[in-house]
Amino acid sequence: MKKTLCFILLTLTLLNAKEFNAPMKTYMDTLSAEAKAANPSFTGFDAKRGETLFFSKQTGKKGSEMSCTTCHTINLKNGGQNVNTNKPITALAPSANPARLTDVAEVEKWLRRNFNDVFAREGSALEKGDVLTYIINQ
Amino acid sequence: MKKTLLITALGLSFAFAGSVAPADNAQYQKECASCHFGYQPALLNKASWGKVMGNLSDHFGTDASLGKVESEQILNYLVSNAGSGKMTANNSTMQITKSPYFIKEHRKIPANVITQKEVGSLSNCLACHTTADKGNYSERAIVIPNYGRWE
Repeated sequence: MKKTLCFILLTLTLLNAKEFNAPMKTYMDTLSAEAKAANPSFTGFDAKRGETLFFSKQTGKKGSEMSCTTCHTINLKNGGQNVNTNKPITALAPSANPARLTDVAEVEKWLRRNFNDVFAREGSALEKGDVLTYIINQ
Repeated sequence: MKKTLLITALGLSFAFAGSVAPADNAQYQKECASCHFGYQPALLNKASWGKVMGNLSDHFGTDASLGKVESEQILNYLVSNAGSGKMTANNSTMQITKSPYFIKEHRKIPANVITQKEVGSLSNCLACHTTADKGNYSERAIVIPNYGRWE
C-alpha cells in the first residue's frame, strides 16, 4: 500500500516536472556555473525568486516604471502586448506555448534586450536562471 | 494594342496609388516585426536604414540589439530594397513619420483618432491602413477605428 502510494506520488511529480530540452539544459548549466563562480554559496535556481524578479517594479531604460509584467501580463499563460507599439506578444508559459524556452539563441537575445529595457542593465546569471526557472514552471 | 496600353496605364496607376513592395524577408519579419509593424524597406532611404541598423541597442529607447551576422544580413536586405522616390525624399531621420511626403499625406488626420488607444501613434500603420501588411496604403483601404473610412 505504502509502496503504491509512493509510486503514484513519484509518477505525479515526474509528470509535473517541467524540463528544459537538451540545449537549454546546457545553457542552464552554464548559468549555474557562472552563478556559483559569483557566489560560492549558490545552491540552485529558484522559481520563487524568479517570480519576485518578474513582478518587481523597476525604473526602465526609458526612465519610466515598468516590470516584466508590463508587456507579458501577470498570467504567463495569456499573451501580452508590447507597451510601445501595441503589437501582440504570444504567451510566455511553455504549457500554453510549447515553442517558448526551446531555442538558446532566442532566449539569450530576449533576456539581454528585456533586462536592459526593464532593469536598465544586463541580468546576472542568477537572475536569468531564476527567471527561466519561474517561466518554465508556468 | 489599345487594350494593352490601357491595362499598362491601369497597372501603373495602381502601382503609384500608395503601394510599396511587401516586406518579404523572413529574417526581417522575425527580428523586427516581432515587436512592431513590419515597415516595408521602401518607406525609408538607404541612409536612414543605415542609421536605424547602426544603433539597435538604443532603438527608439528600447534594446533591439541583434547578433552581428543577423544585423548585417538585415541591413543588406533593407538597403537593397530601400526607397528612393518622393516617398523618402528629404528625410534624413530614422523615422518614416518624419518624411515630408508622409507628413503631407497625414496632415488632415485629426489628432484624437491617432492618439486613441486603438491606434496609439502614427507608426501603427496597420491600425488604419487595413492592407498595409501587403504594402498597399491606398485610400480605399483606410478604415480608422471609431471613425470609419477615409475618402
